[in-house]
Amino acid sequence: MAAEPIVVIRELTKTYLQGDLNVTALNGVSLDILPGEFVVLMGPSGSGKSTLLHIIAGIDRPTSGSAVVQGINIAGLNESQLAEWRNQNVGFVFQSFNLIPVLTAAENVELPLLLTDLDSKERRRQVATALELVGLADRGHHRPDQLSGGQQQRAAIARALVTDPALIVADEPTGNLDAKSAGDVLTILQSLSRNAGKTVIMVTHDPKSAAFGSRSLHLEKGEITP
Amino acid sequence: MTLASFVIKNALRNRRRALLTVISVAVSCGLLVTLLTLERELTIPPESEAASLRIIARNKVSLAQPLPAKQLAVIDKIPGVVAVSPFTFFGGNFREETVTSFAQFAVDPARFKGLMVEGRIAEGSYDDFVADRTSCFVGADTMKRYGLKIGDRMRFSGTFYPVDPDLKIAAVFQGTVDDRGVFFHHKLLDELMGNPGTVGTWYMRVASAETSNDVIARVNAAFANTSAEVRAETERAFQMGFISMLGNVKLLIGSVSTVVVFTLMLVTVSTMSMAVRERFRELAVLKALGFRRRELFSFILAESFGLALAGGMLGIFGAWAIWTGIDLQKLTKGFLLYFEVTPRIMATGGVVAALLGIVASISPSIAMARISVVQGLKTLD
Repeated sequence: MAAEPIVVIRELTKTYLQGDLNVTALNGVSLDILPGEFVVLMGPSGSGKSTLLHIIAGIDRPTSGSAVVQGINIAGLNESQLAEWRNQNVGFVFQSFNLIPVLTAAENVELPLLLTDLDSKERRRQVATALELVGLADRGHHRPDQLSGGQQQRAAIARALVTDPALIVADEPTGNLDAKSAGDVLTILQSLSRNAGKTVIMVTHDPKSAAFGSRSLHLEKGEITP
Repeated sequence: MTLASFVIKNALRNRRRALLTVISVAVSCGLLVTLLTLERELTIPPESEAASLRIIARNKVSLAQPLPAKQLAVIDKIPGVVAVSPFTFFGGNFREETVTSFAQFAVDPARFKGLMVEGRIAEGSYDDFVADRTSCFVGADTMKRYGLKIGDRMRFSGTFYPVDPDLKIAAVFQGTVDDRGVFFHHKLLDELMGNPGTVGTWYMRVASAETSNDVIARVNAAFANTSAEVRAETERAFQMGFISMLGNVKLLIGSVSTVVVFTLMLVTVSTMSMAVRERFRELAVLKALGFRRRELFSFILAESFGLALAGGMLGIFGAWAIWTGIDLQKLTKGFLLYFEVTPRIMATGGVVAALLGIVASISPSIAMARISVVQGLKTLD
């Protein structure tokens, strides 16, 4: 029996005002993503790939259509419910890492856990595990400015993993990295999909990066093209 | 890591700015406390338990109008009056001074002793004061301020009265709420003025505070429908009457205090807005990670509150330490007598600092709440 899709998108549209212009970012997108898939969203700038990623991750809302993730229509959740849902179900990896500069790598990884009921001992254990998974076990006490770009992105992946979410979204995670570091990061994301069963959705411009995914989708003018 | 340590790390991320904010709030709060203390000093008369037992009767028309000296015989017979003395404000300038820097009163020394229930004779003899018509009875603070000793002479140039009494110090009092005054014989003033047969006010003592209202009514009634009707009131009420004339001073100090608080608010709001604006992307990341508006508002509030309170405490206790440590009485030549930073004033400063922390967090919190995760992430990308 085929697995139930973790992401079900139907007739999704997103329009927004840019000055006086009504811009259509997504135009009737429909899409299913299965658990454990590593889906790569590709396309030119302004094609709507980041908007689609943001809606799936619950940080943006569609104008119309539905986005059901893990059985929940996230468009129907209010701001507070959505925040809680994100904390439990989504891990974020950003292009510019977005680590908090005054916190150490371990403290950055611990941040999402502060919203859970875990005690500090359990939080530390989970942080250690996440850092271990990304190969930063010995760098937990370093602040972001003491880490290389690749290490910072690995710390960001550890932060995305630490709450054990089913879905990991990555918006051009290798955009600021050299080829070696980019390869390391993509390998980790691939491994999370293949070995840990995480569903990974990644936006990228780079075909080499896209090769790490299990499926690539091309967007153009707000629509998925064959 | 805890949420508290996260807030502290955020508050101290730009140490120079945090320090400058704390110092700004400290200086402003210190200034506010100083102004409130000054207002208290200028507008609240010294109070003592004995003051509630004393009544002052003045001419009903105005304080400037004298009363007939012959009223004494009537007052003496009023039930409840334990002691009474004429009490005339002389208002002279001491030595070469051009302002009246401490009060002088003409009294009947023998009767006045019964009115001074608080305080004690620090030097000399009260009997010597009673015996010598040209002598005076001086407060210890004035003795200390001018380096005077028993037997020295005090010459005053009259400002209300066109006479210049030259007095010999016979005794010194200490332990009253205001040890600055000088008392001398009313008889001497009468002689110098050509025996006009008038006094400025009557100073009375009643047996208990409970009877003071009855005595006031009796004194007022005793001279009703005479050519010199009186208005009797407690010493406290009399002093408050003087203070009401300082209305503009109160307004001035109140206005300056308001400006201080407003400036303080602008500084803190500006700092907090800056701190939050430059962290929009981080706040957006926190939102993405699942932090809700109320949690982010708590972070901003705690940070703002912490900085304001740290500055407030520094300013309040700094002002307290300064004004407690400095001999202001000496420094201001007796103009400021106590300048006491009371717990109430300190609490007011603390409340202002706390409110400031709360108010300063509102604007950045609204800005943070309005911005979406996507907008926030784009802020500095």
